[in-house]
Parts: sequence; structure tokens; C-alpha cells
Amino acid sequence: MSGITVLIVDDSSVMRKIVERALRQAGLNLTRVVEAGSGREGLEALRREKADLIVSDINMPNMDGLEFLRQIRVEGLAAGAPVVMITTESGEEHVREALAAGAQGYIRKPFTPDQVRDRVLPLLVRT
Amino acid sequence: MITVAETEKKFSEQSANLDRSVDEVFRTMLGVACEPAGEAQEAESGTISAVIGLAGAVSGSLVLQSGEAAARHMAGRMTGAEPDEVDAMVRDAIGEIANMLAGAWKGFDPKLSCGCLLSTPTVVAGSSYQLFSQRAPMRLERSYRFEDRRFTVSLFCDWPA
Repeated sequence: MSGITVLIVDDSSVMRKIVERALRQAGLNLTRVVEAGSGREGLEALRREKADLIVSDINMPNMDGLEFLRQIRVEGLAAGAPVVMITTESGEEHVREALAAGAQGYIRKPFTPDQVRDRVLPLLVRT
Repeated sequence: MITVAETEKKFSEQSANLDRSVDEVFRTMLGVACEPAGEAQEAESGTISAVIGLAGAVSGSLVLQSGEAAARHMAGRMTGAEPDEVDAMVRDAIGEIANMLAGAWKGFDPKLSCGCLLSTPTVVAGSSYQLFSQRAPMRLERSYRFEDRRFTVSLFCDWPA
């Protein structure tokens, strides 16, 4: 896939940087990285511009990741872009809830760059 | 009624789970080994603490407590650039580490994995405060060492079923 725009939604600026680094280490050619500190900011970003990949935390103030996911489906903002949730929550129930809300992938923190590559690359090949 | 033997067994299990959590988070996200360093010690001056609330299957909190130098070093390990002072980035990093520790710890227990929710981190920085958690049946305090820096992780909560 040629250069892609990624939207990274996480209330932690440190985690946003780590996710960006992991995506680059996974071999993605990121031409634009858009950061958002909450689900609400993520929605505003998607209303402004299209993303090829959306990576979001779940546990955030000011609209959590699951509500963010539901809203982007309701408003049709993902436009075919895969959504990957990254969170400390590892229970099957949480994974099912994220997938039911429309996520295509799920990565548990802490994660290695290899785990990010294995979960994200197949989704981008598919789109 | 929990017997002393049962309490000791649970304490030992939870200590082991906490040690594994710390090891996993530090190896994966900081790229460094981290090992238990004996009993919890008095925090050095200039302490920073990150608190994660636990609710649901167990109620309580996980607290990561560190001196400024160790906190800056942890943040530097995560981001690739160690800050000169405890700034917003250091507070953010410490909060995230505490969050991942809590997530990893509860992930070792299937009942907690789904049944226990985590709060977003609260970070306290300064030199003149003490943290109290009242009426917590399980009080687990462990010290850890990485690259000659020390920090403490405490769990104050109900005994997991």
C-alpha cells in the first residue's frame, strides 16, 4: 500500500507517539499522522479529513473508544478504513464488544512492534 | 472466614502476578528488564505517584510510586528522550505504565480480566503527601529495580475470588 494517513486516538500523548513508532516499525509508509486526545477530538478530525487507518484507545475521558467507534459508523466517517482498538483490557468480553461496535482489530497493551504489524498489515491489504 | 494459610497463598499468588506484570510491561514497552527488589521502601524525595482505580470484581487501587529520577528514566525509556524535569510527558508516561500494570495484573486472572474495570490514571507529584487506602483487605506493596532505579507498586483491594 502506498502512503497512508493514520488517525491515532489516545488520551496519552506518550502512547500516541509509541503507536506511531510501532506502525512505522511495522513497515507502514505513514505520509500523515493525525492525533486526537479523545473520542470527541477523533470525530472532529474525521469530519475534517479522511483516514486510511484508525487506531484508538478504549478507556478515555470525553468519549471513550467504543462510543467513538459507534459514532463513526453512524456518521459513516470511517469510509472503509479499518479501525484497530488498542487497550489494556484483555478480557474476551471487551474484545467482543469492540468487534461488535465495528472494530476490525484489537491489540492489548503492552504490545510489541511485531504484534502491531501482525494485526494491522492484513487489514490494510484487505482494504 | 479466610485462614492464615489461605491468606498467605493468595498473597503469594498475587505477588507473583504483580511481578510478572511488571516484568512484561517493562520488557515490552521500556525494553528493559525489571526485577523485584525486596520489601517496599520509603519513597525518595520528589515523589510521583500514579493511581489506577479498580472497580467491579474487586474494588480498590493500584499505585505506582517513584522518585523523580526513576520517573524521568521510565519516561525516557518509553519515548527515547529522557526529560530534564518532571513535566507533562513524564506524568503521562507514569500514568500509562500504571495503567498497563493494572491491566496486565488483572489479565492473569480470568475472573478479573472481564469483571474488573480500570479508571483512567490520576497522577500526583510533589514531596509532601501520603496516600491512604482504608479498609482494603489485600495490601500488597512491592519494590522493583531497573537499571539501578527503584520504584514501588502497591495494590490495595479486596482479595480476588
